[in-house]
Amino acid sequence: MRISLNKIKSYVKIPDGVSDQELIERIGSRLVEVEEVIDWSPMYQGVYIAKVISCEPIPETHLHLCRIDVGSAREDLRGDNGLIQVVCGAPNVHAGMLAVWIAPGSIVPETYGNENFKLSVRKLRGYESYGMLAGADELGFDNEHKSIAEIDPKMAEPGDSFAEVFDLNGLILDVENKSLTHRPDCFGLIGFAREVAGILGEKFIEPEVFQNLDAKIEPSRTAEVKVKITDGKLCPRYSCAVFDLPDNQPSKYLTLDAVSLAKAGMRSIDPMVDLTNILMLETGQPLHAFDYDKLVAVGGTDQPEIVVRSAKAGEELQLLDGKVVQCTADDILITSNNVPVAMAGAMGGKNTEIDPSTKRVVLESATFSLYNLRKTQMAHGIFSEAITRFTKGQPATMTMPVLAEAVKRLDVEVTAVADDYPGKEKKSVVKITTDEINGLLGTNYSTEEIVNTLENVGFEVEVLAGHRDASCETIRSATSEDRRLAPVTTGCENAGSRKELADVETSVATLKVTSPAWRTDIHIKEDIIEEVGRLLGYDNIELSLPEKPFIEPEIDPMVKLKQELRRILSERLEMHELLTYSFVSRDLVSKVGKNPDDCYEIINSISPELQCFRSEIVPSLLDKVRENLKAGHRDFTLYELNQVTRKSGGLNREQVPEMKTHLGIVSLGDFYQLKAEILAMFRELKIAVEYRALSAESAEAHPYLEPKRSAELLIDDAVVGSFGEVKTSVLHKFKLDPTVSTFELNLEKVVGAPREVKTDVKISKFPSVERDLTLRVAGDMPFGRALNTIDNYLSKSGMYYAVEPVSIYQPEGSETKNLSFHIKFSDPTRTLNSDEISAIIKNIAVEVAGIGAEIV
Amino acid sequence: MDRTYRLSDYFTYLYSLYLISRKHAIIYSMSDVEKLKLELKELNSEYAKIKTLPPAERGEFGRTMNAKKQAIMAQIAAAEAEAESANVEALDISAPSAPNEPLPVVKRGTIHPLMAELDRVIEVYSSMGFDVVESRQLDDEYHMFESLNFPPEHPARDGYDTFRTAEGFIPPAHTSTMQHRALKKYKHKLDEGGEIAVVVPGRVFRNEDVDATHEHTFYQCEGVFVSKTATMGQMFGVLKHFFEIYYGQKLKIKTQPGYFPFTEPSAELLIEKPVSLGGKGGDWLEMLGCGMIHPNVLKMAGIDPEIYHGFAWGGGIDRLAMLKYGLSDVRYFESGKLDFLEEF
Repeated sequence: MRISLNKIKSYVKIPDGVSDQELIERIGSRLVEVEEVIDWSPMYQGVYIAKVISCEPIPETHLHLCRIDVGSAREDLRGDNGLIQVVCGAPNVHAGMLAVWIAPGSIVPETYGNENFKLSVRKLRGYESYGMLAGADELGFDNEHKSIAEIDPKMAEPGDSFAEVFDLNGLILDVENKSLTHRPDCFGLIGFAREVAGILGEKFIEPEVFQNLDAKIEPSRTAEVKVKITDGKLCPRYSCAVFDLPDNQPSKYLTLDAVSLAKAGMRSIDPMVDLTNILMLETGQPLHAFDYDKLVAVGGTDQPEIVVRSAKAGEELQLLDGKVVQCTADDILITSNNVPVAMAGAMGGKNTEIDPSTKRVVLESATFSLYNLRKTQMAHGIFSEAITRFTKGQPATMTMPVLAEAVKRLDVEVTAVADDYPGKEKKSVVKITTDEINGLLGTNYSTEEIVNTLENVGFEVEVLAGHRDASCETIRSATSEDRRLAPVTTGCENAGSRKELADVETSVATLKVTSPAWRTDIHIKEDIIEEVGRLLGYDNIELSLPEKPFIEPEIDPMVKLKQELRRILSERLEMHELLTYSFVSRDLVSKVGKNPDDCYEIINSISPELQCFRSEIVPSLLDKVRENLKAGHRDFTLYELNQVTRKSGGLNREQVPEMKTHLGIVSLGDFYQLKAEILAMFRELKIAVEYRALSAESAEAHPYLEPKRSAELLIDDAVVGSFGEVKTSVLHKFKLDPTVSTFELNLEKVVGAPREVKTDVKISKFPSVERDLTLRVAGDMPFGRALNTIDNYLSKSGMYYAVEPVSIYQPEGSETKNLSFHIKFSDPTRTLNSDEISAIIKNIAVEVAGIGAEIV
Repeated sequence: MDRTYRLSDYFTYLYSLYLISRKHAIIYSMSDVEKLKLELKELNSEYAKIKTLPPAERGEFGRTMNAKKQAIMAQIAAAEAEAESANVEALDISAPSAPNEPLPVVKRGTIHPLMAELDRVIEVYSSMGFDVVESRQLDDEYHMFESLNFPPEHPARDGYDTFRTAEGFIPPAHTSTMQHRALKKYKHKLDEGGEIAVVVPGRVFRNEDVDATHEHTFYQCEGVFVSKTATMGQMFGVLKHFFEIYYGQKLKIKTQPGYFPFTEPSAELLIEKPVSLGGKGGDWLEMLGCGMIHPNVLKMAGIDPEIYHGFAWGGGIDRLAMLKYGLSDVRYFESGKLDFLEEF
């Protein structure tokens, strides 16, 4: 929203010594975030009011040769006659008019900041032309190029600075609407100005429209307009006035209103519409003007019979912008005898649009349910200035006062008035103590400061107990109208001694705070506390730290586990941590052979690429392999730690989807490489794991894994994840050739797993024996079986030992293979002699013979 | 004396000649160091004569011999150093490897910069005594809005641009979705006379068009503090303290008003741009939204707002990481590009 600082200054006297910069900073810290400060003054440098003295047509062209009087401006350019020569092609240029002249050397305002088109002295058809006479479009106030702007001679003299005449020298603030979502009053200049007064510590002087909230319009005749609201929740109040419009022709002059509207980002239409918009900008209350005759004709009635009701789904209405909308049941319609004439709060209907020939007007000033209008806004994508204000909840109180102001400014004779007000609400009254205010803010504001601060912006404050000044004699009840002495019941009666008096002086006051009618956002104590804190400045609150006992914080074990894994995987195992989106395409889910229907589907996704909430991490990582290969990376391993879910995983106790944190790894290595890394990871974690061939369930859960080259991982006999090589057919879908291995691990089952703590360090004092053993076994003998056989024997022997695989050798075409191990053992109690050592090796040979292996 | 020569004597003579020649041959073939060592050995054996000298001469003799010995030893040390250096082949230190050798490979892994930042944030808050709970990535209307005092259909919900699933679940648009749960989880601490102090990091989602400064997926960290005496002054104090630890310097803070249905009063916190980020004073960075927890939010979690007060805040982690590393495009984070990761 754009706010002109000069307009604010027309409502609030800014204390001397407060610069614009300081004022803007204070607005930013106590009222609303200022996104941008716009300074238009450089745009209008070298732009003057000029009087066209003579205007001769240039033969055989549409051009005119004009001589203009620019008063005291640009003496350097004036000719002997004191005039400046300009060639102008506009049809409306004529001698005697006041126009806007852009001097040579100046930039055409319309192009300012973009192409910065600079004017010069140039020859047109043989005539020198100094600068140009400008149209409203070239001045930046209109989109259409029609004619040059004509200035009302009552407003200016030749030579006046254009910017000064049209108040363009002040700064314009572009403020962030979001932080005013709850403040409908601040969507009007007056409301905004009131807050500015408040943050400056000044009492705001209410303009008339806000002073007389009970304003009434007395119609001159007994003509009637009927209004019926079918549901007070949809429309708490609907006021309207009927009057004759003497003339609605757009002014031939460039008006102040048109420029004001342009500054607010709006466009001038015609006097009637401009007035509704100007009043909306000032008060926040949108108005809508219907053409009376069209309204009556549409409804087929003698007099306007307005019915405000819900739309029926599918009901059609053509709006002012020409679009035909299909209503939903949440839309509210203004109807003429039940025929839709406007989509309430959003936009008027084409069928009752006012135009320059409009003779009679029904002017609406109403308020509607912000909830319904929000749905309207969403359903039809209407983001008009009016609906932006209505969806903040415009107060019903203001419809009549603003309507009265409108007819006053139009200076018309009102023939009929209606005011249906089913949604009348009581003023909000909050009782609060100064202690509660200071207690929550962490401040020490006096009762006086608090009361003044609230009263400055229109709250009525009555001091019920305690006192606002520092002595018992001045205990008063305070309202915004008068502050008369009133008896109090606590505090002072017993204030005998000086000390007690001192206690009382700092004692707590109870305040009865009545909100002004336009503050629909004040309901509870905290709302009052916010007002006091904000208006006096949060930045003035003294900082402190809470007192807390020294207790070690409790950190989510999953957070800790993830931190631990990052260090192991990235720092020790040289993997790369990726983050990929939680949303994936149905296509990706299908590619890895899973059912996309098991994924939670985002119904308003940004694109089909981001439609499914993922149920596994691995597919997202697989999707990132190819582009990284193409970028020249080799032999990398990617991992991600993130949450997944799936419909078949069900809901938890809170009836929300069961979420699981997973680790996904994708490695450009084979099964054995990944296995070694996984086992190393668990060794670092000190968690005991086992693995075995992929079960049918695991194969189904990870259909992209090649079951003959994959395994499932177990902790405490429960499957926690699966790893292995990806099927070639799946790799082809990802346009990948090399061997790729993956691991999907459910960390929920890892996070609580017991960590092994060594309780017995097995290092013998006596020398250990080291031997390399090679076993010849059948080609299909599992390595693990041979290893276990040796391991089991040594384990039973009571010795300290270790068995390490060394190599697996199987010559081409051979039916046997050689498995080599390095074994190391020692007796915990003595040094083994050579006979004992031979006996042990022999025993191992016997054991392995049992599985058909021989030592070679 | 019978001076007949015997053959054996002759051989003895020849042998002695051989020994002498060998000795010379050895001396010839010896390096400087070995020669010096031999000299030292001879000196040592000469030194043994000291016993045969009259005691009065022994002192002078010892000193002279010692000086000689020291001189030789110094020569040996110098010669050894020279000899060692002469044997060393000089490297081309600018080359990545020796000629004909494979290039050395130093593999490194990477922690995602966003996660490194998130972990750092968690570390700072936990060092300040905050418990840590993780946010969830699919939630419901109740936690996302209702428990946070957003009336149904309230336009304030629009600001959050939420995604929805067919079932009506919401990938949360802020970590505040965990506030209600955090309050309930730690309510017992209040009952035990303590306070609630918890931060909630997590991934959040907003349905908005992606560009250099907007991502639909990003990370936030929420903070919640509740006690009998919590004040807004404490809130600003805690947050200032956090940023001072995080940036390792004293900082100025300021605020601007904000609006969140779940806090009252609400504010946005700015910090003066830290020196480590190139701040020269006078530049302000919007860091987070914060406010005193709305009594309705406390009530809904079963906490009596007449007795307890609290404050809450939430801010983006992506922004912290972008500021720290001078990144201009938020889209890198979720791009999955190793080229990006290897920059860190």
